[in-house]
Amino acid sequence: MSRRLLIGLPLSLLACALLFFALYLDRGVSGSAPNTADHSGVQEQASRPAVSVIDASVSKATPIPTGPAEVLFNYCTDCHDAGLKKGGINFDVRSVDWSSEANQQAWQKAMYVNDHLFMPPHGVDKPTAKERRILSDWIDQELSKQIEIGGTPPRRLNKTEYRNTIRSLFYIPDYELPQGFPGDTTVHGFNNVSEGLVLSATHMAAYNKVATDIADRLYPQLRLLPPSKLQAGGPDEMSLSFSASAKKDGKMRLASSSIAIMRSCAWPTRAAVKASGVYTVTVKASSFKPKKNTEPMVLSVFARDVDTPMRARTSRFRVLKELEVSPKGTTSVSFEAELYENQTLMFQWKNAELSHDHEKLPGMMRDWFERDPRFLAAWQRAVFPDGIKGKVRKTELRGLNGWRILHEGMQDPDLDMSQATLDAPMTKKLLELFGNRNYAVFNFADALAHYYFNYGPSLELQNFSIEGPSKLVDSPQEKADKLLADRLAGISRDKVDSDEAYARKMLGNFLPRAFRRPVDERTIASFLQIATDHWAEGHGFNEGMHLMLRNVLISPQFLYRSVRPGLLDDHDLAARLSYFLTQSPPDATLTRLANEGRLSKPHMLRKQAIRLLPSKIGGPTHPFVKDFTGQWLGTSLLPEIMPDPKFRFHTEDIQIATKEVELFFAEMLVKNRPMRDFIDPGFTYTAPYFAHRIYQMQQLKSWSADKKKSERIQRFEFPRGTRHGGLLGMSAIMMTTANGVDTQPVLRGVWVMENILGIHPPPPPEDVPALTPDTRGAQTPRDTLIKHTNNPDCYSCHQHIDPIGFVFENFDPVGKWREKWPGTKHKIDPTGVLTDGTKLKRVVDFKQWVVKNEDIFAKNVANKLMIYGTGRELNHAEQNELKTIVKNNVGGDEGFRELILDLVASETFRTK
Amino acid sequence: MKPNIHTTLDRRHFLRGAAAMIALPGLSAFGADKAAAPLLGAVKKDGPRNFVAIGSYLGWHQNAFYPKATGKDYEMPPTLTPLADYREDFTVFSGLDHRAGNGHHNWSNFLCGRDAGAYSFDQMLADQIGQKSRFASLQLVTGAGESNGKAVMNFSKDGTYLPMTNRPSALYRKMFITKADKARTEYLLKSGRSSLDNVVDEAKRLSNSLPTDDKDKLDEYFNSIRGLEGKMQRQLNTLNDPVDDPGYKLPDNDPITPGLQLEASVIMYDLIAIAFQSGLTRVATLFLDGLGQVFTINGRALGSGYHGLSHHGNDPRMINDLVLLDTAHMEGFASFLKQLKEKTNAEGKSLLDDTVVMVGTGMGDASRHSNRDLPTLIAGGGFKHQGHVAIKGHNAPLLGDLYITIAQKLGMEMDTFSNASRNLNQVIS
Repeated sequence: MSRRLLIGLPLSLLACALLFFALYLDRGVSGSAPNTADHSGVQEQASRPAVSVIDASVSKATPIPTGPAEVLFNYCTDCHDAGLKKGGINFDVRSVDWSSEANQQAWQKAMYVNDHLFMPPHGVDKPTAKERRILSDWIDQELSKQIEIGGTPPRRLNKTEYRNTIRSLFYIPDYELPQGFPGDTTVHGFNNVSEGLVLSATHMAAYNKVATDIADRLYPQLRLLPPSKLQAGGPDEMSLSFSASAKKDGKMRLASSSIAIMRSCAWPTRAAVKASGVYTVTVKASSFKPKKNTEPMVLSVFARDVDTPMRARTSRFRVLKELEVSPKGTTSVSFEAELYENQTLMFQWKNAELSHDHEKLPGMMRDWFERDPRFLAAWQRAVFPDGIKGKVRKTELRGLNGWRILHEGMQDPDLDMSQATLDAPMTKKLLELFGNRNYAVFNFADALAHYYFNYGPSLELQNFSIEGPSKLVDSPQEKADKLLADRLAGISRDKVDSDEAYARKMLGNFLPRAFRRPVDERTIASFLQIATDHWAEGHGFNEGMHLMLRNVLISPQFLYRSVRPGLLDDHDLAARLSYFLTQSPPDATLTRLANEGRLSKPHMLRKQAIRLLPSKIGGPTHPFVKDFTGQWLGTSLLPEIMPDPKFRFHTEDIQIATKEVELFFAEMLVKNRPMRDFIDPGFTYTAPYFAHRIYQMQQLKSWSADKKKSERIQRFEFPRGTRHGGLLGMSAIMMTTANGVDTQPVLRGVWVMENILGIHPPPPPEDVPALTPDTRGAQTPRDTLIKHTNNPDCYSCHQHIDPIGFVFENFDPVGKWREKWPGTKHKIDPTGVLTDGTKLKRVVDFKQWVVKNEDIFAKNVANKLMIYGTGRELNHAEQNELKTIVKNNVGGDEGFRELILDLVASETFRTK
Repeated sequence: MKPNIHTTLDRRHFLRGAAAMIALPGLSAFGADKAAAPLLGAVKKDGPRNFVAIGSYLGWHQNAFYPKATGKDYEMPPTLTPLADYREDFTVFSGLDHRAGNGHHNWSNFLCGRDAGAYSFDQMLADQIGQKSRFASLQLVTGAGESNGKAVMNFSKDGTYLPMTNRPSALYRKMFITKADKARTEYLLKSGRSSLDNVVDEAKRLSNSLPTDDKDKLDEYFNSIRGLEGKMQRQLNTLNDPVDDPGYKLPDNDPITPGLQLEASVIMYDLIAIAFQSGLTRVATLFLDGLGQVFTINGRALGSGYHGLSHHGNDPRMINDLVLLDTAHMEGFASFLKQLKEKTNAEGKSLLDDTVVMVGTGMGDASRHSNRDLPTLIAGGGFKHQGHVAIKGHNAPLLGDLYITIAQKLGMEMDTFSNASRNLNQVIS
């Protein structure tokens, strides 16, 4: 008897069994995404195909051979005959019409319940293993004659694939979809399955909006030169930010050359240009008390986007002009400059002595204090108002307020000069603080700036004006977008004779990229006509191109893949492989190979799959690793879980837990480890503090020696056969199977069945209340659940779910090991018995059981990969192919990477 | 209505439920076609219909915001002096907060509750009472500096932040479309619609070669194109049936440099009042950001930049200037209350009675980066106002409990918010 048979769900009660049989008939072999539909609704649905399952009256029907007919007669027809028709099923027939799709599905499910011992129910005679095989082999043979490999319906790009496709198509690597772009539904565990990828009007409106936004960039509206305008202002129309500037004597004084604009720059507050163009800029400036024998003051004039955040640095801004300000009189300079839409000017004294740099300040202040002991004494009083041992003033010294405090000291005839020497301890401490970023940059230097504003030297701005535009120019973004338009066309507009020739070139170049396959003349002509018709109606060149591009971006060949039936041709294969492993359209290499007809050659397909798969474990997470683990193992949902504060499990911890899964999965793949290592690998990736605090790994003794080191993720090795490591020992998995507050054994049990073993128990009946653990100490979750399982309605499933759920109870909702149920004195009891009789004492026993049943686990992973890769649930023929692949892989100890490569090579993968 | 993920999801449906929650909201949030969405929350007939929250990034200096006495008979504290004429129209709450973490990065606990970044209160309202108006909600900001243009206040159900509008002119264009914009939109809709035949033909050609099941799947495409056509038509209809432009005079340049924040806020207040009056939206928020800008009040430049003042270190002069600035913010807010009181909605009810107005912050004491004891003021909304309500003591109500009361006043069914599950209906109703 196959090991697989042992973990079925033998049912204890006839009524219940019939109910679930009907359920399984409806739900499919590997289970559709379970929903919360109420029990009776499902039952009703299930009975519809069941009635028509076996219908001898159809002429195409073939007779049932003696062997299986005897099994059916001996074990099934007592209940499932024409009269009783339990569960709406009648096996009392002579022949079957195998061409009927409903019959195929129903018999496939009959085979499933036979293989998994769901039927016959508890308390009646059971067929022997041999008899069961006779029945299943016959169904298998008949189904194999009927069911062919393939059948993904047209598959719309999902949200991530669509975004990546736009990025790749238009060479905009950081493109993000607009706010509110609709997401996708998850079906069969993944958000890239055709069935779930519906295309609604809301989606179409979203695609249309993206198309319009991109067309706006590539083919913008023509702009008209607006009338010239003069915008001028003085200090009252300039910004004040911290101590970057101060208004004195009707002028705006600047004192710092800090790279932080909020500490050194002033800019017009009510002047900005509305059109990108050439403007005449005039600036009047003067020097206030310049130092003798120094180089002249230099005023930097920058272009500033009015939206620029205050934390920006000067290096971000374009310098329009650097002008020398005469030491005497007023310097007035006019120059022409390009300013782009929503830009204004920005001013900085480029060579100011004060730079807010805490590395330069101590030296500068030391020299200053040496020259001027009273200034030193005033600083000492400002910073140490209660003496060297008292409080150190910091935030009060910000800006003008700080200057007032300092200035009061400077003016005080009784200023205490007793410490005003360079070697006094107070001076040393003060100079130390001038070298401390937090004190010097944010506080002291801002007070110091006011010394310069009052006593000089400062650079004085008197007024500015911006006049224009005299002509229009393209902003750098607009220039880049024009180049991009030509890049898409493969040629510059100047090099082509006519608009139509350019549009044709563009389509010839762009459509094969957009549709991921060569296009015929008819397709090109149909899109070209959109532009030519639009031009004929009197619209401009850009408008025609704009409309044409918008149209391409909502066309079905762009939005869908997997359209052409049968074995995928090289182009469709390139798309399937590329989206499977990178969530992006085929790159240049894949496209070239497809065009040459070489991709479908087995060695080449394998080579390309290897190229697209991750080749190293660390570094940025590979899109396949991130997306597949995120969906299969639910780690993409972790940020939503928000563990209860009592666990002290924060965002950084969630990131480490997620990274652990990803790095582990990457190693499995890159090192081609055997499938059982998913369960008991003897290693993991985590941070030392995490291994210590969450996993309580005993061998970690010096983990906290270095905080930074303890937070860095590293590879840990430990003996196999422990609770550590593997999917069933990871914090992230324990978290996705809990709710952030408490654990629910049922939830974990079902999760492990569905995602590790690939078995989908039916949803719980609606009228059965949920298990609510009593945290007041009176009961343990096990006590509560035992009550529930006394109910026969529950028992049939829970006898299978609960042992698996309870064995993980030592992991709390964030995966931390615990010995007692929270809020109780009760020691956690993780024991249980699997339906095949395996006794579980602790979690390692279950892990070893999965290792022993490696093929069940491997088949489940392979099935998930194929759903993800092909976008469909696998049919009977495909399941058979999958079984062979998995058998070879596990039997031959070939490893996880080989499994993926074999799946890619399979007919199932290569067929629409 | 159970906004908290912990309470909505149970049993083994948790994972599926969470996945569905993430996938769904986008569908209804996209596009201008709000009218089709069902109205989930039943609005009480006589209750207020609008909600506006004003949040100050650097907080409100508590000592100058809270009256010394509790109850109605209190002396107007310095920061609230501009509101003296409206003392019957608002209630000041002291002692409320969300028990959230401290620091600037947790500021968004203001509307999110204990967990900064969770589904924010305004968006819960927008998703229910906002669905029938042209804009489900408006998110506005003045004085942008610290946040680098990233929103820190409003979060949708799926946890993505919503961008805020900082330019009054952009908001105005959104509310009252200009001739040029109208012509452009009309052109895009009409030209786009005219070219749909081409993609439909292409889809038909594709469909011809497909088996029946695939044809059925491709029907979704044809339906979506028809749906898009319908949307375009409805948009064209709205274009030709615009809301009357009130002819509000905007300055030549948007006062968006942070130093002009007070001026910008007054314009934003004006535009919010107009938006409520013309029914363009039911939910609005205004974020008062702040960093280095130095304000000049009564002709005197204040002693430090805004952020510098907030770290006053108990220096009396710094506090004095900070309170001057808080008071100046309140002068702008007083002009808002005045308008709401004078303006009426289509049914002749005063906008103030029709609007729950909240002034608050996610930061209790910026000088210490403490997010405890968040100064909060509720005005209008048809509440019987109670002067100064001081919340104290063990197991005291949370700010979230006040939000529950507000939501219920707005006709929504809400009995939990973040970590709060009571209400303040006994205190204010």
